[in-house]
Amino acid sequence: MDDREVDVSTAGENIEGQQPEPEPESVTDETTTHDEGVELERTIGLVGGLAIGIGTMIGAGIFVFPGLAAKEAGPAAALSFAIGGVIALLVALPASELATAMPRSGGGYYFISRSLGTAGGAIVGLGLWLGLVFAAAFYLVGLGHYVVAVLAEVGIVLSLGPLAPHVVLGLIAGATLTALSVGGTERTAALQNIIVVVLLVILTGVLTFGILDAMGIFGRQSVPDAFFSKGYSPVLRTAALVFTSYLGFAQVATVAGEIKQPDRNLPLAMVGSVIIVTVFYAVTIFVATSTFGADRLGTFGETAMVNVGRDLLGLPGAVLILVAGLLATFSSANASILSASRSIYALSRDALLPKKASEINLKYGTPHVALAMAGGPILVLVATDSVEILAEVASFLHLVMYALICVALLVLRRRDPDWYDPDFRMPGAPVLPAIGGVASVALIAFMNGASIAIGVVIMVLSYGWYRYYADDVRLKGDI
Amino acid sequence: MTRPSVLVPIRVLEGESLPEGVPDLLSNAHVVLLGYHVIPGQTAPGQARMQFEDRALDRLEEFEQALSDAGATVEHRLVFTHDAQQTLDRQIAENDCLAALVPRALADLEDVLVAVRGTVGIDRLARVVAGLFADRDIDVTLYHVTGEDETDEDVDVLLDGLTDRLADEDVDPDRIKTRIDRDVNPVDAIAELAEDYDCVVMGESDPTLSTFVFGMPADQIADRFLGPVLVVQREPSE
Repeated sequence: MDDREVDVSTAGENIEGQQPEPEPESVTDETTTHDEGVELERTIGLVGGLAIGIGTMIGAGIFVFPGLAAKEAGPAAALSFAIGGVIALLVALPASELATAMPRSGGGYYFISRSLGTAGGAIVGLGLWLGLVFAAAFYLVGLGHYVVAVLAEVGIVLSLGPLAPHVVLGLIAGATLTALSVGGTERTAALQNIIVVVLLVILTGVLTFGILDAMGIFGRQSVPDAFFSKGYSPVLRTAALVFTSYLGFAQVATVAGEIKQPDRNLPLAMVGSVIIVTVFYAVTIFVATSTFGADRLGTFGETAMVNVGRDLLGLPGAVLILVAGLLATFSSANASILSASRSIYALSRDALLPKKASEINLKYGTPHVALAMAGGPILVLVATDSVEILAEVASFLHLVMYALICVALLVLRRRDPDWYDPDFRMPGAPVLPAIGGVASVALIAFMNGASIAIGVVIMVLSYGWYRYYADDVRLKGDI
Repeated sequence: MTRPSVLVPIRVLEGESLPEGVPDLLSNAHVVLLGYHVIPGQTAPGQARMQFEDRALDRLEEFEQALSDAGATVEHRLVFTHDAQQTLDRQIAENDCLAALVPRALADLEDVLVAVRGTVGIDRLARVVAGLFADRDIDVTLYHVTGEDETDEDVDVLLDGLTDRLADEDVDPDRIKTRIDRDVNPVDAIAELAEDYDCVVMGESDPTLSTFVFGMPADQIADRFLGPVLVVQREPSE
């Protein structure tokens, strides 16, 4: 990639008199360059980008949802996951194009604020922060279920006061993760990569065995089931529910400013991680439903996969899935907390939140205020213990962003401003991004009323915050 | 005589400053002054920039002034990074630096130990030594540890050739000494000998299994020698 001028200028100031940080001078394969010889090194390669995407996503789709989804949709839950995957792919493509044109931290928020203006940016940016908070809370409740299941496996039954044990464990895990993020352990990125590789290895092993088993190689009869045993509309409802399993690719874009060779690595990491997890999800649901039948699977709840592992491989299978489930939900929650903190940074850089919010402490070099703004609300939400609402609100807030990403792409393609020069151009525009945008909004319609209400309230509050705090800030590029 | 470009990396926000004596050491150099700040993965580099840029630039300007007062030409970079090694490597490549300095304090610069490994990279070594120390009152000792597959004649040819080359480039021949050892561990020998000198100049080695296990010889020397080490960089591969 050539040195490229970043020609989007910001203006105005917020209610505290803070102005958006000036845009960088240029973007290269290895740095983002500001004036006076100041550079920001890009240090995340393709593997790191894929690990963020896969690591964020795989926790939910495989280790939390199969039981819940089977209960709702029967064996057709596999189709629900496939629908989610197709929509995710339809958004990952335009997101990739926008990311190569604007490889800056903040991801979807950044694209939308620069192409559709501050109001849209504020709604999406604050929504992204809170969406990640809801997602992290959801993963932590899942993590709590896995810890309880691990302990049950060794014969320990917890009783921890008035709250359910998995909620208490989720709270402890959430507080610990936030503290670890502030306390700054070295090499967290390397750890995330290792966790993702271990996960994929375990899953591939168990699922391969499961497929062979389902095809009757081992001479067992699997349970036959009508595919649409619950009818058609639960399939779409379930697709809306399980869409939380596909939120991770957008997290790759939130660290777009740190990805090496962004024109190559961003599209590969985003599109690649969506394709990889979609395949894993579909196979997982196929194996899970053919092992137990959807109805029985549905009774196992959040840790249904443990029973699948046990049924396939005995105790070692259960242990493997438990370990993988712990790792997966842990890495999803961790990645979401870090992404939420990055979103807060992007908002505060643009004066939509106080500069104080992205302050770094001198002792650890970590953004303690932003991490607390992620960790605090996460703990409150974990305490509600409403897995499905948490998942749906997280999806809702992301889907709004996804729809606007598609709109942003259509607008930029149509106006084609001088500064818009993506290295990756998605195929099939304008039809595919239009379908992606409509599908994203349509999926929202299949959610619970309560989830939709919460999502709308958050959007309204975000808009209100923008009008109150940063009405005068202009972020839109010249289009 | 073109000025050899030397990278001077300083962890500018962690209280590291330009060590005493370095401006004098590099008075004939073109210095690429790299202020860098390593941040943990949880923090975006841009976030650190927002908060620390002004402070770091102020300090860099101070160092830049000291270097140019001593006679060097200077350009600066300030980099926020998750990975210090990647940043250093990139700066060396982008700015085509002949050498990188391990910045340490030194008193009066009177003598320099130049570790000569072999013919590979000797041109760059000569350019650094001649560029920095020609026409100055500094003794230059060329030191070589003879390997098992080398004859004494080979070594004489090597060191005489380098001496002539340096003399051609205005290093006073009377100030050039040579010293040869045999049957010693090069790293130990250089580190021990270095104690009698103010500064060490040596080449960067090709990475091999043993450098992977024990670290680069230049790093090992830098760990043991308390003064500044100029590490001459390999020819950039195309």
